[in-house]
Amino acid sequence: MSVASVEVGTRIGELTVSLTRAQLVRYAGASTDFNPIHWSDRAATALGLDGVIAHGMLTMGTALRVVTDWVGDPGAVRRYSCRFTRPVVVPDDDDGVEVRCVGTVSAVNEDSVTVTIEVTCAGEKVLGAVTAEVSRGAMP
Amino acid sequence: MPITENHVGRTYPPTEPYRVSAAKIAEFAAALGDENPAYAGETPDAPPTFAAVLGAAAWDALFADPELDLSLQRVVHADQTFVWHRALRTGDTVTGVLGIDKVRCRGAMEIVGVTVRLATLDGEPVVDSSSTFVHTRAAS
Repeated sequence: MSVASVEVGTRIGELTVSLTRAQLVRYAGASTDFNPIHWSDRAATALGLDGVIAHGMLTMGTALRVVTDWVGDPGAVRRYSCRFTRPVVVPDDDDGVEVRCVGTVSAVNEDSVTVTIEVTCAGEKVLGAVTAEVSRGAMP
Repeated sequence: MPITENHVGRTYPPTEPYRVSAAKIAEFAAALGDENPAYAGETPDAPPTFAAVLGAAAWDALFADPELDLSLQRVVHADQTFVWHRALRTGDTVTGVLGIDKVRCRGAMEIVGVTVRLATLDGEPVVDSSSTFVHTRAAS
């Protein structure tokens, strides 16, 4: 995809990942977020959740791959924001839960492009207002 | 007296200096399942959302402030924004300074906006991590 072909509405890519309990454990260690709602069904259900949920930052970090896979250089990302709308419940099985991320250009400025990412799980939005601004200098 | 709008503007001392290592970057990228070559090799860049790990370390000061009387167990992370001045890289030693940006009290619910400014020991800004927390105060 060239710079010239980027315009509002251009779909830059999509990514479907399966989040498993094993990945939650790995992310807990890497991020040092050891909140038990991300590994203990007992702790999660005591707070009224349907079971262990993914770290919001894991889902947010995963969704940004749509943008960094597109630009190549992660250093091109200037700004990234989202709302944590709905928890992603991760079952205790080998398959985990599928999260789908679709990136679409939502603004084109002189020196940057803004991408809006739709992040869904079983057809429902789990993150809201997911936008990333990338420097145009690094566009593919 | 718990947190009020009068606490807007309060900042806390810098967090302990954190040195970014290639091993920690590799661990974090693996936890995201992200094989971007920028995160590999001897002097990789950190994945953009690695900033969350350092930002969260600075939150401790907020929850440890007895005057605010906030409990981490009663907090929901509602939204998150990162603004990068440059990529976080292997060998960077950074500290974070947390400031309170916004407080809104609505009955038992308190909405608290904070920004952690991560900078090198020389004072070069690297990334600002802004978060909104919704805190539900226990009935007294």
